[in-house]
Amino acid sequence: MTEDSQRNFRSVYYEKVGFRGVEEKKSLEILLKDDRLGILPPHHESHTLVMMYRKDQYADILHALKVIRFVSDTTPQAEIYLRMYQLESGKLPRSPSFPLEPEDEVFLAIAKAMEEMVEDNVDCYWIIRSFVNQLKNKYRDSLPQLPKAFEHYLNLEDSRLLNHLKTCSVVSRLPYDLWFKMCFAGCLPESSLQRVWDKVVSGSCKILVFVAVEILLTFKMKVMALNSAEKITKFLENIPQDSSDAIVSKAIDLWHKHCGTPVH
Amino acid sequence: MAQQTNVGALLSMLDSSMLGVLDDIIAVFKENLNSDRGPMLVNTLVDYYLETNSQPVLHILTTLQEPHDKHLLDKINEYVGKAATRLRILSLLGHVIRLQPSWKHKLSQAPLLPSLLKCLKTDTDVVVLTTGVLVLITMLPMIPQSGKQHLHDFFDIFGRLSSWCLKKPGHVTEIYLVHLHASVYALFHRLYGMYPCNFVSFLRSHYSMKENLETFEEVVKPMMEHVRIHPELVTGSKDHELDPRRWKRLETHDVVIECAKISLDPTEASYEDGYSVFHQISSRFPHRSADITTSLYVDTQNSYGSATSTPYSSSWLMLLNTPGQLPQTLSSPSTRLLTEPPQATLWSPSMVCGMTTPPTSPGNVPPELSHPYSKVFGTTAGGKGTPLGTPATSPPPAPLCHSDDYVHISLPQATVTPPKREERTDSARPCLHRQHHLPNDRGLEEIPGGKGSVTLSDLPEFLGDLASDEDSIEKDKEEAAISKELSEITTADAEPVVPRGGFDSPFYRDSLPGSQRKTHSAASGAQGTNVNPEPLNSSLDKLGPDTPKQAFTPIDLPCGGADESPAGNRERQTSLEMSILTPSPCKIPPQRGVGFGSGQHPPYDHLFEVALPKTAYQFVSKKTEELLKKVKGNTEEDYAPSPSPMEVLDRLIQQGADAHTKELNKLSLPSKSVDWTHFGGSPPSDEIHTLRNQLLLLHNQLLYERFKRQQHALRNRRLLRKVIKAAALEEHNAAMKDQLKLQEKDIQIWKVSLQKEQARYSQLQEQRDTVVTQLHSQIRQLQHDREEFYNQSQELQTKLEDCRNMIAELRIELKKANSKVCHTELLLSQVSQKLSNSESVQQQMEFLNRQLLVLGEVNELYLEQLQNKHADTTKEVEMMKTAYRKELEKNRSHVLQQNQRLDTSQKRILELESHLAKKDHLLLEQKKYLEDVKVQARGQLQAAESRYEAQKRINQVFELEILDLYGRLEKDGLLKKLEEEKTEAAEAAEERLDCCNDGCSDAGVGHNEEASGHNGETKIPRSGSTRGNSGSRGGGGSSSSSSELSTPEKPTNQRASPFSSRWETTMGEPSTSIPMTVGSLPSSKSFLGMKARELFRNKSESQCDEDGMTISSLSETLKTELGKDSDLEAKTPLNLDGLYPSTPNPDSVGQLRIMDYNETHHEHS
Repeated sequence: MTEDSQRNFRSVYYEKVGFRGVEEKKSLEILLKDDRLGILPPHHESHTLVMMYRKDQYADILHALKVIRFVSDTTPQAEIYLRMYQLESGKLPRSPSFPLEPEDEVFLAIAKAMEEMVEDNVDCYWIIRSFVNQLKNKYRDSLPQLPKAFEHYLNLEDSRLLNHLKTCSVVSRLPYDLWFKMCFAGCLPESSLQRVWDKVVSGSCKILVFVAVEILLTFKMKVMALNSAEKITKFLENIPQDSSDAIVSKAIDLWHKHCGTPVH
Repeated sequence: MAQQTNVGALLSMLDSSMLGVLDDIIAVFKENLNSDRGPMLVNTLVDYYLETNSQPVLHILTTLQEPHDKHLLDKINEYVGKAATRLRILSLLGHVIRLQPSWKHKLSQAPLLPSLLKCLKTDTDVVVLTTGVLVLITMLPMIPQSGKQHLHDFFDIFGRLSSWCLKKPGHVTEIYLVHLHASVYALFHRLYGMYPCNFVSFLRSHYSMKENLETFEEVVKPMMEHVRIHPELVTGSKDHELDPRRWKRLETHDVVIECAKISLDPTEASYEDGYSVFHQISSRFPHRSADITTSLYVDTQNSYGSATSTPYSSSWLMLLNTPGQLPQTLSSPSTRLLTEPPQATLWSPSMVCGMTTPPTSPGNVPPELSHPYSKVFGTTAGGKGTPLGTPATSPPPAPLCHSDDYVHISLPQATVTPPKREERTDSARPCLHRQHHLPNDRGLEEIPGGKGSVTLSDLPEFLGDLASDEDSIEKDKEEAAISKELSEITTADAEPVVPRGGFDSPFYRDSLPGSQRKTHSAASGAQGTNVNPEPLNSSLDKLGPDTPKQAFTPIDLPCGGADESPAGNRERQTSLEMSILTPSPCKIPPQRGVGFGSGQHPPYDHLFEVALPKTAYQFVSKKTEELLKKVKGNTEEDYAPSPSPMEVLDRLIQQGADAHTKELNKLSLPSKSVDWTHFGGSPPSDEIHTLRNQLLLLHNQLLYERFKRQQHALRNRRLLRKVIKAAALEEHNAAMKDQLKLQEKDIQIWKVSLQKEQARYSQLQEQRDTVVTQLHSQIRQLQHDREEFYNQSQELQTKLEDCRNMIAELRIELKKANSKVCHTELLLSQVSQKLSNSESVQQQMEFLNRQLLVLGEVNELYLEQLQNKHADTTKEVEMMKTAYRKELEKNRSHVLQQNQRLDTSQKRILELESHLAKKDHLLLEQKKYLEDVKVQARGQLQAAESRYEAQKRINQVFELEILDLYGRLEKDGLLKKLEEEKTEAAEAAEERLDCCNDGCSDAGVGHNEEASGHNGETKIPRSGSTRGNSGSRGGGGSSSSSSELSTPEKPTNQRASPFSSRWETTMGEPSTSIPMTVGSLPSSKSFLGMKARELFRNKSESQCDEDGMTISSLSETLKTELGKDSDLEAKTPLNLDGLYPSTPNPDSVGQLRIMDYNETHHEHS
């Protein structure tokens, strides 16, 4: 009884939520990050074991790919991840030389971006894998809605710009794939991308809409200056990188503004 | 056309001499003009006038009404442009303008004005120029506001013409220049009067140039000596002058008078409104009054018959004679003049002139006049008075007569003049002489310098010759007649005639209302003319008093008041005479003495306009022409000494007239009825043209002067109106005074009543005072009473106070007494109570005593009884007592025991309860932990599962690869080998079918078949039957593939088959190493087998749905069976391990066992 009273009063609450301990901050962060993706179980004790499993699995798949000569030492890491993922999902093509599917391209883009963020290959692979799976499963229904939401919020923020886009008939041709399927991978630098993806991993894919809106608002003058759909699309696909931090910050503000609380 | 001819006929008829016809035709024309608005008729009229100079046409043209003015002006403008008609059209314009038509304001806008100015700037004909300038001067006051636009044109014209006067361009005749000079002089006055600032600045700029300096010195400067400083130069500005508002309130005659006001030239100046100061009055006023005073004077002299100075009488005679009988005068002066020279030497005319001249106005006229005339007129009325006055009243012969005089006197003088002047300058009158000298010297210089062939000194001679010829018998006769007449007038009545003269001239009007004023004016006039040296004279005239004073003062004083009427009378007479005698004088008078002329000229005008329509006019003009022709030669000489062009002109005319009369006398033509005029004499034929022009110029001048006179007349009318107004106001004043008196009377009455009221009031006041005093005394008495009462009340109050105090004391005492009574009562009651108490106590005491007694008796009784029965009961009681005591102790110890037991049991209960709680808690913890473990295990399981899945994928890939490789191998494989292998494979298949008689073989066959059917092209059936291992493997692969295919499709209840197939694959692989007995394990019915199967089932279930039920059930089984058989426990993990290596690690089970809840369980149990 005396021990109980001395315990951290929050522990009950944490336990309810599913956290085993609050002592180690790092573990909490790991939990927070990885729990969402389901790579590590909530139990700290089983981390080493599970990680061992993960590592084994990674090694096995890699080994298998090497055995069947799908990958070699020279293969880029992102492609290795792709092949591994394909193997795991049973979609490995018969030959490495087969052309890539669109979804594979998405995977590759995300993998490349993630590669920059995470050092360890195993971790990286697992994070990519879980991230992509989350996009595929959890956001399967909401991703197609994002372009409409984008138009809506752009209209709220700057209807003139939207009108301009509409007059250029570029609305339907904006790089939605880049924005919403690849989650800006390759579009924003990794440092900024990380903040966006944190939100995505945490469960809000709407942040993507606001980033897109903010990109348009930031480069409003340039976009207004351009008239043809091709030029606008091209410009938006290759936006300057220097102001990306500001864009993301503003996008988050915008997200808070429009969606209220930061939680979803 | 008919009309045209009609007009022509009418025009010709205009010249008819029948007055009735003329009137009719004029009426017809006027009607026409009223009805017709076109320019034609006007044009024709103008043309006709230019052709014929017809007077009726002129009359029509000058009275044109509004709509035709434009045509007329246009026409005039047109003709002004033409050199041939310029002169006549200008004179027509002059006629038109002088009448001041109602449309005169339009002149400023008309194109005529610029063209007129242009003409004046460019024309070289002096006659035209003079006419034009006069027209312009006439026009200027009518259109003062036009100055704004044309001011510089005016100035330019002035500049040009002023230089003309000096330079004489071309062959201009001298005589014209006199006229031009006069008109320029007038222009100077007009411009200076109207636009002083601008004009002065123009002069400054224009004459600052060197080439113009001479003109300035010679021409302009003398002109400037005749003007005062214009007040506008001080107060006004250039812009203000041109401001239309300034002109708006001024009428034409106002402007003219304005201009005249600033003039110092007596012929031009005006002294209205008290504008001028004394010296001006003395210089100008006297001139006007001179006519009166001088004549008056003469009259008095005559009437007195005193032997004053002869010159006076002579002059007077001359004055009298001037109207008519010139010869007469000539004769008398001639006789008298003989006596004069000595006088002149005694007090020279120049001296008289200087003395008589007002000290402050020497610069202007007197010197000029005096110089040529003073010798003559100086003797009369002071030099300047007469020339001004006399010409006005007198016809040309008058000057003639003077000239005669002049001749007589100046003949000797002229020769002596230069030295004489020198003397004069030496003598003590510097001021006068300085100013005299300027013009004089100039005159002297000019004479030899340029003017003409005839010098000043020559002139008298020349005239003298003429004059000498004039002396005739006729004149003597006339003289006698006039003297007679005069004597009649002077002696006879004077009064009745006064009013007439008074009406005519302003002076008379002035003099009429107040006699004092009249006398004063007369006196002042006298002073101004004759008695100047008198006290009024300033220091300048120191020398004056010597002779003239003695001579004139006695005359002056009496004549001032009394002899005014004779003067008027005489005036009337002269005027009458003039009107009867000659029309010609009217031509000359207007030129000078406008102020005076106005009084007398209406009659002439009247005569002129009405009585002598055209013929008379022409007649007069002709005569004047003739006159001028003669004068012409003489004028030149006159020119020299006169700085005032007007005077020069005057003199020119005088001289001309003089010469003319002499000429006439010489010729002695009998044609004319009038005795003193002898017109009609043929003039010298060579100079006829010049003379005609001159005549024209004179006419123009005359007309201009007449215009001025009309302006003055207008002015006079206005002044009259003002006087009438003033009179009305005076009457009003008188009425007001009457009213005032009435009101004063009223006031008196009011005052009386006021006094009455005051008396009554004082009475009332007294009454009131007495009442008040009475009341006061009453009040005092009452106050006294009141005080007494007050004192009484005061005393009473003090008494009252004392009583109150006493009462209070008494009350206190009463209270004290009451309390004392109460106290005593209380004491009394206490005492009574005590008393009763003591009584009852006594009773009790008695009762007790009795009882005591009774009890004592009883006691004694009991003592007796006690002593009787004493010993038996004590032992028994003691025994019983001890028994009771022991029993009590026993019970007590028992109770103690019981209590102790109770305590212990209670403690035990508490202990157990705490244990129970602990257990509960532990149980909870255990549950939580179990939950954790479950989650942990699930996570691990998931990881393992994913790993397994990956492994499976790897395997698939591998198999695929292997199959691929096989496929490749078989492509180039041997057919024989295939055959053998086929048989072997079939055998192996059979063997396998024997071994496990399950549906596996069927499945395998099916599979084989399937495979063969599936990939028949790749010849898999052969590969499937190559070897047992390979076959099984192939079967396993196929089965797995099939399971792989089926798993997503099949529902959960059909899981058995894939599981079994998997089981087979797993069995297939270890079959090489592990004995077959193991393979039969699943079929065994032992507990372990059941458990294993259960586990597997759980596993498979947990694979598909992630419920924690399997593990919980496992733990349940573990829990339940742990305590029962530990042997089995040891075995199951082993089996499990062997059977299923991927199951959760055995540590967890160990952990389970280690859990403290087991311990507690054991403890509890």
